[in-house]
Parts: sequence; structure tokens; C-alpha cells
Amino acid sequence: MAFRSAKTRIAVGAAVVAVALVITGCSSGKTTGSNSATKTLTIDKAFDLKTADPSRMYEPTGEMVDKALYETLLTFKGGDVSKVVPGLATLKESADAKTFTLTLTGTHKFSDGSPITANDVVFSLDRVIGIKGNPSFLLDGVTVTKKNATTVVLTTKTATPALPSILANPALGILNSKVVKAHGGTTTTKDAAEKYLNTHSAGSGPYILSSLDLASQVTLVANKNYDGTDKPTYTRVVIQNVEGPTQKINVQGGSADVALDLSGTQATGLGSAVTVTSNPSANVIFLLLNQNPSISKITSNPDFIKAVKESIDYSDLVSIAGTGTSQAPGVVPSMFLGALKSSDELKTDAAAAKADLAKSGYAGQPVTLNFPSDITLNGIEFPTIAQRIQSQLKAAGITINLAPAPVATELDAYRNGTETIGLWYWGPDYPDPSDYLVFTPGNVVGLRAGWAAGADASISKLADAAAAGGSNAQRQSQFEALQKALNDSGPFIPLLQPGNNIASKSTVTGVVYNAVWTIDIAALGKK
Amino acid sequence: MTSNTAVRTVPEEKSTGTVRAAHPFVRYAVRRVITSILLVIGVTLVTFVLTNLVPGDPVAAALGQRAAEDPTIVAHFRAEYGLDKPLVVQYFTYLGNLLHGNLGVSTTTHNEVSADLAQALPATLEIAIGAIVLSVIIGVVLGTVAAYRRGKVSDHVLRVVSLAGLSVPTFWLALVLYYVFYFKLHIAPGSGRLDSDFNAPHTVTGLYTVDALLAGQLDTFFDALSHLFLPVLVLTLYTVGLLTRFVRTAVLEILDQDYVRAARAKGLPTRTVIWSYVLRGASIPVLTVVGLAFGSLLSGTVLVESIFSWPGIGSYAYQAASHLDLPGIMGVGLLIGVMYLLVNLIVDLLYGILDPRVRIA
Repeated sequence: MAFRSAKTRIAVGAAVVAVALVITGCSSGKTTGSNSATKTLTIDKAFDLKTADPSRMYEPTGEMVDKALYETLLTFKGGDVSKVVPGLATLKESADAKTFTLTLTGTHKFSDGSPITANDVVFSLDRVIGIKGNPSFLLDGVTVTKKNATTVVLTTKTATPALPSILANPALGILNSKVVKAHGGTTTTKDAAEKYLNTHSAGSGPYILSSLDLASQVTLVANKNYDGTDKPTYTRVVIQNVEGPTQKINVQGGSADVALDLSGTQATGLGSAVTVTSNPSANVIFLLLNQNPSISKITSNPDFIKAVKESIDYSDLVSIAGTGTSQAPGVVPSMFLGALKSSDELKTDAAAAKADLAKSGYAGQPVTLNFPSDITLNGIEFPTIAQRIQSQLKAAGITINLAPAPVATELDAYRNGTETIGLWYWGPDYPDPSDYLVFTPGNVVGLRAGWAAGADASISKLADAAAAGGSNAQRQSQFEALQKALNDSGPFIPLLQPGNNIASKSTVTGVVYNAVWTIDIAALGKK
Repeated sequence: MTSNTAVRTVPEEKSTGTVRAAHPFVRYAVRRVITSILLVIGVTLVTFVLTNLVPGDPVAAALGQRAAEDPTIVAHFRAEYGLDKPLVVQYFTYLGNLLHGNLGVSTTTHNEVSADLAQALPATLEIAIGAIVLSVIIGVVLGTVAAYRRGKVSDHVLRVVSLAGLSVPTFWLALVLYYVFYFKLHIAPGSGRLDSDFNAPHTVTGLYTVDALLAGQLDTFFDALSHLFLPVLVLTLYTVGLLTRFVRTAVLEILDQDYVRAARAKGLPTRTVIWSYVLRGASIPVLTVVGLAFGSLLSGTVLVESIFSWPGIGSYAYQAASHLDLPGIMGVGLLIGVMYLLVNLIVDLLYGILDPRVRIA
């Protein structure tokens, strides 16, 4: 039989498709329905996700995801990262900060129902050390030993007062060793469990991993065997990879419940149906002036450094950065133990800058400011900050040539210590002031500023005292003294702690910014 | 029933020794395919050299700042990704692996690059195919109308509209359309390929609309279809501008040809003149532009993908480049190169079908 007209052919084709659909039977791809008890929470986040395997993960999105999937021995409560609290275990620390005894408490279970034992703890921590992944450095010099079925002892050769804070990092989440070993997990570089851990979770956190697509979406579902205190309100959580401008429209339009990457400007005018939680983040944007005379005789001159510090208009920088941003009082962020008070911040002083510049002998030679052109940190674009600094210093008589480059290429110059002036940021590896000892002579960031060991004996002495540990009060005063000296004569200029703006539907409760894992998904509730 | 083929007389074969002379079109096609294979090898070399010329250390870009300071971790990373070998060895290893379909492992996602690309490509194809089909239909109609009504108001309006389509930045247009259609008018869905209430359909083709139909999930199909609306619209507006201008120019040239005037003088209906004479004559230059536009849609949708949270090739390319993920960059470069070559090959072969003179030449 021939179909004579085009219309007849189309009609027959449509009928065939319809019949085929009926024959195959139509099901639903939807996870929620009017009769379903599923509550889905949608979170928008600009992904920097590389893996969900905690022992290899060290990116902000991964921290948030793994915080929901895995429990740690110690943890933080809410947004307070200055004090660790028990997680799966309680801690007993020796006076010399070299021995840490952790005892498992209660009857914690993995998502498959099996109990958490000291063997799981030893395997998990040894795996972090042994696979040589991004977070391996967290346990550098740490030896993990099982004492009995519920107790594990961590020892270090040198005082490590930061270790309790480090243990709260989701990268040190406790894995179900039997499950991970069954899927190729080892404590060496031969480990092959990452693929499994990117499709399944093997932890005891409030959620389990349902699906993971590094480019677009992570889906979590509630862990029925979770026996912690914060039972999740939402039974299903979808974390979507969405950029800032779209996040704003999504949270206003209702397709997202929480948006995590709004800039200071985007976080304004969102309407009454959206709540914005603004805090300074734990990132610190700073300038470094190279102290190596072979790189620059100008920036290695102490009077020139002083003049630059006094010429910068810090309040102007804060105002262009927008909601939530504050001036960084020192290299240690304001919410950490050891942070300086706002009264200790660097201050603009045009007259003093003029005098110091004259003393330095600077005669208007151009100085290069290198910066990563493609970094946007909490909505702040580095080129904007660099241009503003250039214009502020020009007003003070200092000529700056801007040298932007993509971060992937500029990192080399920064890490090799060849930049004359660099504009960078430091995100905390763990929320303890000892992470900031890198800003002293002979240490990682010090060397990037051409500041060799022994270049400033008085600052090194203060750094050694701060590294030794002690009570919280002692450490606070030691780090304050160190940072005051750094602000006074160091080659670093702490500029900003960019604002972290979290927008959420007003029906979502429990949104609290945490410097390590951004938000605790399990703590989010519903009005 | 009498079959035409059964009664057709087979022409006597002209034999040149043992080699039988092939049909001119077959020879033409074989020649083009061989050229394309050589070009693919050229693409791998150019991509490899350019990628390695970029200043910067992939180790520094891939590892965290503390991990990159640890010589053991760095050495392990270099060994794992073969970065500890000389560049020449790396290139030939890459070529060898390529012959086995192995594009290496991404230093960013830790997945095989071929798997990453297989996931990203359908997402881009889904919007690119939609955009090119709509663009060709609309562009040919508008371009022909503009040419036929040369110098009249409708021609001027269409030229301004097509120019606007070309000039408006796609990033801006995408954001504005998203704001208007999703947030203000509520007639478009949110970003992404599906609403968060839906699970992705079981992967067969990677095209969500097709896979949803194959899985018999009509609600997923309609949701996926609705999510295509805005990205396809934005890409179509740009491509329509391009095609309208080219079609107009091509049709204007043909309209002045003697054979078209003769057809009109014979009193043939306008529809027949347009379809059988004008558009057929204009098809070769238009086909070239359609091929280029489709290639450009496959490789140049990064900004649109960014606004609509579309996990396609553009997003993957950006991620690979910003992390100096050499296998990822190579994979994307190769894929785009091959896609362009494939599109050009198809266009060239279509030339041969549309215009026999091309084959002979």
C-alpha cells in the first residue's frame, strides 16, 4: 500500500510512534510524586569537584559532599571552627602535642549496617597517607596505631597542635574498610577504589551517594542507618553545577533551594522569598613583594614595602568587593584562633607613604604586578582588584604595570618565587593558625616572596614560638605577636577576606557558613 | 512483478589490467576520506605541540598547593600520567594508545578522556542539532524572502534582524532570555538538562530526549525537551543571522542567472522556480556555511553551556584548559578536529552529489 500524501505519511508515522510507546509501556522518570515522602533539596554550586573519594578529595565542593557522606573522628559545631568537638571519637591530647588518643564512642554504624571499628579508622587514615593524593600532606609525619578495638593512637615526632583541627576535615572521613578493600582499596599508591567511591559511598554520614557526575550533578539520598544527632530533613539532595549569575536567577525563580556562589553584588535585591547569609570567608587575598634583590631591588627595599602598605586604600577595596567582604586583619582569617583584631589591620596613611617612598629612593620606575586573570574568588575578580591597586598606587606616585595571566600558567611563576609583586589568595588547608606559618621566612609562601630562611631572625623566632603549641590562650597571643610583626615589616600585605554569600529560600533553615565544608547539608531544615 | 534491475543491461566493464575503474564519485569519496585521515594525524600533532607549548606545569595546576610541594606526591603524579617521559615518547605513546581508542586519563576528573567525551558530546549534540535544523529552516526561508524582496522594507528589516542576531553577545542574550522566560514569564524550565526531581534516563545514546523515549519515560522526555528550548533558541538566533545573510547573497546571485530568467519567462510557478532552480543553484555556498556553522556550534557553545549549566563539550574544554589537563585538552582538540573534518567531508561529498562537476574536478 502506498501512502499518497505527505500528510498521510506523517499521520501514519505519528501513529506508529504512539503505538510503540504504548507497547513499551510508559513509566515515570520522576523521583517525587504527590504521594511520595521524598523531599528533594536542590543546591546550586559552581563545581570544582574532582572526586568523591575522601582520601583523594581536596576541593571545596568535595568537602561539602564528603561531609554529608562520611563522618570524621572529630568535628566542628556549626560555623565555629576555632574549637573541635567529638565526632565518632573523643580525644585525649598529650601536653607536648605529640600523642593523640582517639576513642570511638557509641555504636556508630556504616550505611550497610556494619559497626565502625578501630580497624576502619587505621585503614582510612593510612590510606590517606599512603595513596599520595592531594590531602596526604594533612597527615605528614603522623603514625597511626591501633591500641584496642575502639582506640587508636596518633603520634608525631614534632609538636602538632593543629592535628585535632585537621582530623575534622572530611578528607579524613572514616571508610568501611571491608567494602573499600573489596573494591581495590589499599593503603598504597596501588589503590584502585576511587572508581567505586565515585559511584557508591562507604561511610557512616547522614547521606549516601546515589549518583555522581563530576560535570553536572551529585545526588545524595538519606542514609537509613545513620545514628548521629542531626537526622537529615531532606531525603534526597541534588547538588547542581551552576555558575553564579544563573544561581541567582535559579534561587529567585525557585528551581534551586540554596545558591552558594553569589558575589557581593549578586547577593543584593533578591526579594523577600530569599534569605542571604553573608560572612567573610576564610580566604585571604594578599599582595606579596619579592624580597630577592635579584628579582627586584625596589620591592626588596623595606621602605618601599612600607610605602605600598600605607598607600593602599583598604576600605575602597572592601567597598568594591561588596556584601560580606571585610579587610583581612592579618594573614590568619578573622574566624580562626590566633586572628588579629580589626584594630590591628593595616591602615592607609598618605603622608607616611610619601615620606617612606622618598626614603626608599624610588624614582618612578615601573614595577610589575602579576596576578591570575581568570580567578574569581567569592565573586571577586582578581583583575578588578589589581586595577584598583594600580590606580591607588599611581596616586601615591608608584607606577605599576599589570601582568595578568591564566592561573594555570601564572602558578609556576608564583610557586618558583619569580614574581616581583604578586596578587594571590590563601585558602585554609585546615582551620588552625599553624597553617599560616607558611608566610614566614624559608617556608612555602615566604619562599614564593623570595624570603629565604634567616632573612628575618626576629620573625622566625616568633614563628618558632607559635609552632610549639600550648594552650589556646598562649597560641592566640603567639600568633597575634607574629602577625603584628608580619604586618609591620613582612613582605605580605593582607587585603581582603571576600564575602561568602549563601542565598536560600526563606523556607530553608539551618544555613550556617563553615570555613571547611561551606555548609552542612544534613543540618538544613524546612520551615 | 517486473523489476527494473532485473531487466537493466549491465554495461560492459572497461578493464585496465586487473584494476577496474571505479565510479568517479567513489574515487572522489575515497580521495576525500584519505585526506581526512592524514588531517586527523596532523590535528593530533598540532594539538600536542600547542598544548605542550603553553607555559605552566600541569602538576602545579592539578595538585593542591601543599601537595605540589611534596616531591613524592609530584613524582607519583608525573609517573601516573606519563609526564616523566620525554615529549617525543609521550607523543608516540599517545598515538599508539589512540590506535586502540585510548585517549588517556584526565588529570582533572581521573576518568578516561574517551568516557568523559562520550558523556559530554551528546549533551552538546542535542542542542547543536536542534539549533542547526531550526537555523537552516528559518535562515533559508528568511534569506530567500529577503533576496526576492531586495530593496523593499521586508528586506531591510530582515537584514537588520540577521545583523542583530550576529552582533548580540550570546552570553548576554542567554542570560537575558533565561531571566525573562524562566524567572519572569515562567514558561521555560530552570537550568540543566532535567529538573532536579528527575533522574537521568538510562544511557543508550546520551541524548536525554531519545533515551527517555527508549525508556518509555514520557514525563522525562517532555522535561528534557523543555530544557532544550532556551539553549537551542539562543544558538538558533545567532546561526539564523549568519545563514539569512548567506542565503540572501547566494540567492541574489542565482536570481540574475539566465536559466532562472528563462524559467520565469516560461511562466513556471514561483514555487517551482525557487525550489528547482534558485535554491538548488544556491545550495553549494549555503551548504558550506551550514557545515561551518554546525562545526562552530559543536565547539563554540561554552558560554551558552555555562549559563544554562549544560555539561557539554564547551564546559569540558574550559575545565580541561583551566586545569592544564593535557589529556583532556588533547581529547577535546582531537574531537573538535575530527568533527570539523567529518562535517567538511560530508559537505564535500554532498557537493559531489549536488554538482557532478565537483567530482570530475
